[in-house]
Amino acid sequence: MMMTRLAAILAVLLLFVAVAQAASPSEDRILGLDRYTSDKGRTLAATYGATLKQINTSIYHCMPWLEVPKEGLGFYKPRDAARDDRYLSLRVYIEQEPSTQFAAMPIEQRASSMFSRYVGPLLRRMTGNGALLNDASLDGFTVILEWLKEAPMSGGRPVHETIAVFLDKPTALEYLQGMVKPPDLADRSRVYGWDGESPLGRLRLAAWDDNFVSTYKVANYQLAPGVTCH
Amino acid sequence: MRSNLWRVLLIGGVLVALAGCASNDEWATWKQHPTHYASGDHGFFSLRNREGKSATVTRDDIALARDQGWWGRPITVAQEQILER
Repeated sequence: MMMTRLAAILAVLLLFVAVAQAASPSEDRILGLDRYTSDKGRTLAATYGATLKQINTSIYHCMPWLEVPKEGLGFYKPRDAARDDRYLSLRVYIEQEPSTQFAAMPIEQRASSMFSRYVGPLLRRMTGNGALLNDASLDGFTVILEWLKEAPMSGGRPVHETIAVFLDKPTALEYLQGMVKPPDLADRSRVYGWDGESPLGRLRLAAWDDNFVSTYKVANYQLAPGVTCH
Repeated sequence: MRSNLWRVLLIGGVLVALAGCASNDEWATWKQHPTHYASGDHGFFSLRNREGKSATVTRDDIALARDQGWWGRPITVAQEQILER
């Protein structure tokens, strides 16, 4: 009798563990506290740990065509910063259908398209916590967008294109308040590009309003129980 | 009696562990058409749905599809080239 009960409890526990693992993103997407190299970064991460988890979870469920890589989210220092400026940084891989039309565009145009489509919506998801926005230790925001350059040749490795967008805090705040429009947001950002591993240097992008993120739905996608998306 | 219980428990655990995995048919189809599922909605949809069943795609389906590394390890810039910890 005792064994039967034990077996039943263990089976239920196994099921719960399987469901819990399946329904939440991996926490290794967030840079661990022990991985920071400065107290400023570590303190921000410790203070806003719940915010980082919320961002990770919301992208996982609500923008499932994006993938946050390991350590893709945290309070990083931009490499071009002279001081220990700490930016809330998010890196995503954008999964989309390979398109010859898209691949034929110049890199600036592809980068501008991705900037227009994703930087604003991701910035809004990253800035839901008012206390974080008002924290003097936070210096800005980084959005890193990465996508497949073109469908790889048979047996070849895929090449990603990447842009890193750095926004200082005043610019981000003005954008969130509607005082800066997308074209000006691109002008006021520092944007760097890479073709695979090769740096392309600083890019000058055009940007425009794009409502893809607010209108696109993965066909037949069913949100996990208890999850809501805004 | 005791060994039967453990056997049931073991089988149950294996079933739970396999619940999120694709069937042999799914993998066989994928191997024949590796690019067919490589991206976008169609891939997510194809992996999940079967004739006669309701059409749904869960986050787990998408994660499972990605975990297989459709295109292999990409050539991309290392995060250290962009950011410092």
